[in-house]
Parts: sequence; structure tokens; C-alpha cells
Amino acid sequence: MASTLPYRPSNDSLSTSNPKTNGLPRLSPAASFIGRSPSGSHASFRRTSTENAVGHRPRRCKAQYPLDSPERHVEYILVASFHIDRGPIMEHQYPAAISGDESMLAELMLPDQTHVRSQDWTIFFLHKDTSGDEEDESAGGKKKKKRKSRYRANEETAGMSEEDPDEPSEGDSSDDDEGGEGPPLMYVLNLVNTKQDNTVRRGAVVKAMAICTRHSFLHIYKPLLLLALEDYFKSPYPETLASLYDAVNNMDLSLMPKMSILERHILQSSNTKDMFIEKFEQMVRQREEEEAEDGECPPSPKKSSRYVLPRDTHEFESKVVYNDIPIPVKIPTVIWPETVGDFSLVKLIQTFAGPHATSPQPFPSHPHLTTSGPFTHPIIVLVNAILTQKRVIFLGHNRPSGEVAEAVLAACALASGGILRGFTRHAFPYTDLTKIDDLLKVPGFIAGVTNPTFANHPEWWDVLCDLPTGRMKISSHVESAPVTEGLLFFQQQNALLPPPSSTHPDPTGDHLFMDDILRSISQRHGENAIRAKWRAYIVKFTRVSAAFEEAVYGASNLYIIGPGEELSPDSPTGHQTDPTDPTSLRGHGYVWPDEASKQRELTASVSRIEGWRNTRSYYSYIQDIAAMYYPARPIQRPDIHHHHDRLRSLKLSHAEAGAIYLALSHAVKDYAGICQLLTVAPENQAGLFYISMGLFHPDQVVREATVDLLDRIAVHPVGRHFWTHLSRFAKLGYFRVKRERDAAQSPISGAGSPTATNPGTSFGGEPQSLVGVALGDSFKRKS
Amino acid sequence: MGGSVSKMMGKIFGTKEMRILMLGLDAAGKTTILYKLKLSNQDVTTIPTVGFNVESVTYKNVKFNVWDVGGQDKIRPLWRHYYSGTQGLIFVVDSSDTARLEEARSELHKIINDREMKDALLLVFANKQDIPGHLSPEEITQQLQLTKLKDKLWYVAPSVATDGTGIFEGLAWLSNNVKTQPAK
Repeated sequence: MASTLPYRPSNDSLSTSNPKTNGLPRLSPAASFIGRSPSGSHASFRRTSTENAVGHRPRRCKAQYPLDSPERHVEYILVASFHIDRGPIMEHQYPAAISGDESMLAELMLPDQTHVRSQDWTIFFLHKDTSGDEEDESAGGKKKKKRKSRYRANEETAGMSEEDPDEPSEGDSSDDDEGGEGPPLMYVLNLVNTKQDNTVRRGAVVKAMAICTRHSFLHIYKPLLLLALEDYFKSPYPETLASLYDAVNNMDLSLMPKMSILERHILQSSNTKDMFIEKFEQMVRQREEEEAEDGECPPSPKKSSRYVLPRDTHEFESKVVYNDIPIPVKIPTVIWPETVGDFSLVKLIQTFAGPHATSPQPFPSHPHLTTSGPFTHPIIVLVNAILTQKRVIFLGHNRPSGEVAEAVLAACALASGGILRGFTRHAFPYTDLTKIDDLLKVPGFIAGVTNPTFANHPEWWDVLCDLPTGRMKISSHVESAPVTEGLLFFQQQNALLPPPSSTHPDPTGDHLFMDDILRSISQRHGENAIRAKWRAYIVKFTRVSAAFEEAVYGASNLYIIGPGEELSPDSPTGHQTDPTDPTSLRGHGYVWPDEASKQRELTASVSRIEGWRNTRSYYSYIQDIAAMYYPARPIQRPDIHHHHDRLRSLKLSHAEAGAIYLALSHAVKDYAGICQLLTVAPENQAGLFYISMGLFHPDQVVREATVDLLDRIAVHPVGRHFWTHLSRFAKLGYFRVKRERDAAQSPISGAGSPTATNPGTSFGGEPQSLVGVALGDSFKRKS
Repeated sequence: MGGSVSKMMGKIFGTKEMRILMLGLDAAGKTTILYKLKLSNQDVTTIPTVGFNVESVTYKNVKFNVWDVGGQDKIRPLWRHYYSGTQGLIFVVDSSDTARLEEARSELHKIINDREMKDALLLVFANKQDIPGHLSPEEITQQLQLTKLKDKLWYVAPSVATDGTGIFEGLAWLSNNVKTQPAK
């Protein structure tokens, strides 16, 4: 039964497929991932196929931060002070000197205008590998060399050679490293205090303490730094640093389960508080079994567990005991790339949307940036600037440096959507004039400053975002967008077509999108909802870019063609390559309602897509597709996302829709497959609604296939939540089809006709038992 | 909008804007002068400046945007980033710190020889005139070798920043002389 084996390795089809080059031989899209995907995908195929049974997980649940991990939560504690004769100096470093440029570190720890406020937070990043010593913005020769080689590798389409060969062993969950971009960043959270003191010369003492960690949730350490810096003012010795270091490293996160990309995706886009609770239960059970084996704690069934389950599975609760004071901390379960600290997208959007709404100011035109004309929404200008790798500065004069740092981190997350990478690596959440020469060597950065002199130097930036006024400026010195081959080719192609009506008010759809975002904010949907919407926006951007590449270059770097699928743009969507195999349904990529709207949207976005196609984030995304996103998907054929989108946005004939339901039902069988389906049908976008419409299809085979699929979803540990959210109407349809089938199977009632069944009376028998299963399950878990 | 209105008002009523950069060795009194200008009747106590301060002061129809940048020798290389667009330089000297006058002279000449500062007015505050052993404005002029300067409008004003003596006289000189220059 070929249909249940969606795990066919894809590389054979890739190497045999012969992409149309459309007269642009420079691009060979397939070559860039061939070197990578076979090993990665093989590894994960084997993994997933061992756990084929739906809902049953015999495998041990792994911890995100195991107890025996050699990695420490916090690697260094630093203390710096402002010396009245010498300026910023480093006082102590624990457990050892962090190496690198010490005075540069001390300057970063004592931000501008520290003297006008009693307390300030900053965040900055260090590019430090485990052995070498490199500092973020230091102009060391070694650093420059490395940077150069990194870029060169990128230019030759994705430097595979830098990849760790055994990285895909974890298959779907190994995205914590920065794929080919060097070692993970070291994040530094810094607290600086200024104390007026008449007993010292010039009347004040300024000291700063910093925590250096590789975890991106560094904000959890804020209360600890407050306590420890206070202690350090009283006893300025290395022992104070040591006790903080020991306290934070004794934090126990070992009961936090590790999740696959698909699982994390589902958890993040869901508001259900007990989603994946069974994983946390399993972690506790495993721990108790281990302890029983070790004899530490004799198993007694009556005793209640010492370990509590989280109230909300989106966060893991733990504590740090510092000086005998237990301090509660909450660690996010799902951490996406480029998400550092506790920024707020809502706050960033509101800062710049407010002034734009009351009195919009026209931007000077730039094809990469002002994609909806001179009155493009400033947030869209910002995202365009970051996607096309411009130099972006956030300026917060008279604001604490922590505030500009937060804006920088939010901007990174905005443009990344948790999908694209390479922004935080070139972000400087807080920097000042002392680093300007090094900053200007970085092509494309996002930096936060408080010194208004940056506004007087438009040659230093392309886009300046002024936080106090909420205004954005495009520099008069910004490099004009180059005319690329892709752009020319697209224009040639379109010259043949009738010109799309240029009068359309919102060709990119960005106005509509921003209106939706602002409405969500004003209706207080919360930070999580806004992040999910931005994620969807960036996903859409990558899919539109893939469609553009296929249209112009004949093939896309951004999409790995599934087996049996053709690269040809004329490949008929919705046809089966193999008439006997429902899963061989053709078609892939983004779905537009009609050809005209596709042309309109591509025409409006062509400049920023071409601008993005030569950036760091573009190249690392190509690597990520091959190394993680593609292998994480157990079902390569059919393209589930594409066909679910067709159900959602197209008016399909019965035959076309029926083919999709059959394909889904045949392809989606196991645990990971169902997870994959649920990621394209998130709860905030109607969940299982479009799938449940298959219950009302005129063809009985389709209806029953849909029932089978929903049956599998309903007993799936994640799917059960989606099942409970399904509307009553859809559930009634489900029970009706079930009854029909039962009737057909029982010889007495003969061929069941839909009219013979009465929904009111039959709401008792077998179907309800399934509800019982689902509900009973969740009741058990809640108790 | 608001900005353009106030610019128009400026044209009608003759208000000028002037960007001033205030530099000098550490502990010369720059921040004290800045806040004495801003808050004329209050006592000012300052602590060392980490980075910079910037304040607007309106005096005799001229709006002065005064930048005060920290003076520790390690951070002096940053001064040059503040030069572009500066119309007036206030250089503050501790008149009692005779040991560091040579250092002050060398820093001052470095600044005013920069291309971006060639049109800027130069006001020197011979500060701390209340401390015994201080040098007079004439001696400061000599020590700083100001008479060697060609094509430069300069003025040395004696001052006691802590009680405000001499500060507004210095500012008056700036506002009188900025008028002779084409407004930017």
C-alpha cells in the first residue's frame, strides 16, 4: 500500500527533476540543498516511522535542559564601574575572565546617561565561541576574517561546509544552533545602578552587574540581578558574584520536555492551557521511575507526587534559591529562533502606528521599503528594511537604554516571525558612539541607541526609528535598489500579459494586514495572538517569494518539491499522477483565488523579494528548509498546506474537493502526520472547520474518508483539543456519517439513506462513546 | 507640522536656533554650566557624565541646543562625532588646574583644526575663578595660545559655574555674534 508510505526519500526525484531555467542558467536551485537534505531527511524518516501508532508514544520523552548537561545556564557574571578618572572599568569577572576586549565590555555595561537615572537595564550580545575570544563589536582581526569567510560561503549559495555533520541526528528539534552562522550567541543582561554618595569624590558611585547566558530567556534573571547588585554595593568582592553564579546554575529545568518543530508550532499558536500536558506527565513519571530504581525514594502509590504539573503548558515554572530566598521563575516552553528576552510586539507596533494614524507623513520612495507608496505603514517599512538587510537604528533620547534594547529585540522577532534568521546575530540592542566605527562595518544591522547625535548622521543609517516621537525616517543616503535580473525578467514576462489594474488600493495586502493587526491589538487579543499573526505574515512572504522564484527562475530555492511533483509552472494542480493513489495529488505552494490577484501581488512585491534574495536571512532560510523544516515534515506528498489552503480560499468543484479529502485521509495517518496537518489548520484560523466540511460532501466515499481522518485526530493527544473545538454542526455531520456507515454494515437496515436518520433521536448510541473517549481523557488529565 | 510652525514663528520674530557643543577636560565644570544655564536660580550638584547631556536653553531670542560631552581622556576620541552642524564651541577650562592647561590646549587645538569645526564660534570659559591660585582670563588666553588662531572668532569669559557668575555674559557673546552669521 504505497499510500501509507509518505516517507519516500526525496532526493532521487530532486536529482532527476529537470528544472526549467527560463534562460537564466546562473541559478541552480536544486543544487543548493541536494548536499544537505538526504542525510537529514533519512534520519528523521527512520525516527518517525518507528512511532507509527496513533497517540501511542513508547519513546522516552527527552528534556530540553537535562540534569547531566555540561552546559550551564549562566556562564559568566561580570561587574563594571565608572571610574571618575579613567571612565568605565571592569571590576570582577566570575568564574573566570570572559576574555576579549575588557574595556569595550565595561563601556557596554555603563550606557550613556547612566548618571541621570538611578537604575537602567541593557542587553547586548557577544559572539563568543566555546574556545576563542571574540567580542561582538570588537575590531579584532580574527573576527573580521571569520566574518568575511562567512559571507563568502553565503555568496556561493549557502555554506554547507560549515555545518556540523552530525547535527540532524535530532532530526526535527535541532534548531537551537544557528545553522552555519557560527556558535550560538552569548546573551548579556546587564543592570546598572547609580548611587549618590557624598562621602566619595564627585558624589556618586556607578556600578553594573551582568549575567552572560546562552539561553534566550535571559529576562528571568532580572530579580536576581537586582538582589545581587544591591549585595555587591555592600560587599564588593568576588564572593558576591560566586553566590549568584551558584544559585542560578542550580536552577532545575530538567522536567521540561523537548518538543519537535511541529509540536512547538502547534503549542505556540494555541491558547489551550493543557496542550501537551501528557508530555509533562511523562517527564514526571520517568523521573519517579528513575528515583525508584536508584532507591532514593521508595515507590509508594499513595504518596502524591513531589513534582507539580504546569498550570499552563506554555510556561515551565521553576525557582532559583539565592541567599535562602526562593525566587520563582517562568521559562517559556517554546522558544523560536530570534526571540530573545521579554519584548512586546504590541508596544513596538503601537509606538509607530499611533502617530501614523493621526497624521501620516509621506516617505521618500524606495522600491524595497515603500511597497505601498509614500504612505506605506511605518511598521511595514520597518519589516521591509530588515528583510532587505538595511541599516536600522532605534533612537530613544532620554529613554532608558533598556527601552531601546527592547525595541530592537521586538523588531528582530517581527521580521523573523520565528522562521527567518540572521537578525539577532547582527543586532546591537544597545550601542553607543564608542562602537560606531565597528558598527558601520556591518552590512545591514539593527541597533539601539540613546544618543540623539545619531539623528544628525544620516550616512550611518538607512532607516531611523525615533521612539519618543514614534516617527520613522528613510535616510537621504540610502542606497538605491539595484535593478536585478529577476526584476527585469519579471517585467518582460508581464509585458506580454494585460497590465494588472494599477488602481487597486492595496496590491500587497499590507493595508488589510495592518488593519487586522491593529484591530487585534485594540480588542486586546494579546501578545501571543499578534506574534502568531506576524508568523503567518512571514510564512506568507516566504511562500509568495517561492511562487515568484518559480515564475521567474523556473524553480525556487525556497521549496523542496515533493516526489511526483513537477517544477513546471504549468503543472496542473489538483490532478493525480497515479490514478490509483489518492495521495499523488499535484500542486504546491501559495494559493491565490485567481491568476489576476496573483499577478497583482507579485508585481507589488517583486522589489522587496528581489531585495531579500541576496541577504543573510534568505541564505540561512534555504539552509533551514533543507536541514530542519523539510525533514520535520513527515508528509511530503501531497503538499498539505497547499491543499488545505485550496479548501479554504477557492471555490472548488465537488470532484476537486473530494480528491483533497481523500488525499488527506490517505496521507495523514500517524502521530507526526496529524501534527503536520494541525499546523496548517491552527485554532485561530478556524481549526478543523475546512476538514470537517468533507463530512457534507455528496460522495459517500469522501464522507467516510473524512470520518476516518477525524477519528484519528480525535484520539490524537493534540488533535483531541482541536476536536473539542469543532462546531456542533460539524459534529452532527460526523455522527450522521457514522450512523450511515453502521447502517450500511448491518444487514437488516440495508443501504442507509440519509433521510431515514433523525439526528434528534440517534444522538445516543455509538457516536457518543467517542465523545466519551475524548472528554473522559481530558477529564482524567485535568484531575 | 509643529516644527515647521515654530520655524515660521522664528522667521517672524527673529528667533534663531544654534547648536552648541561644550567640551573640555574632565571635571572642568561643563555639566554644572549646562544646568546653571537651564535652571538659573537653583543650586546644581553634578556627578561625572557618562556619555553626554543635551539641553535647550532660550536666551535673548536664540534657542541654544547645548551638547555637553563627557571629558575623561578615554572618551575624548568620541568628540568628533558631535562636530558636524555645530555652530559654536564652548570650551571649559578649570583655571585652577594649571598642571593640565597644556593638555587642555592640545585638545582645544585638535578640535578647532577639524574641517567640520572651521566655521564655529569659540567661547572659552575660564572657569573656577573662585578657587585660590586660579589664572586670569588673560593668562588662560596666553596658555591656550588663542592669539595664534587665524580666521576665528573667539572670546574668553571668566566664570564661576557653581554660582552662575559670567555664564550668561558668555552666552550673550555667542548670541550677538551668531547674528552676524548667515542663519542656517
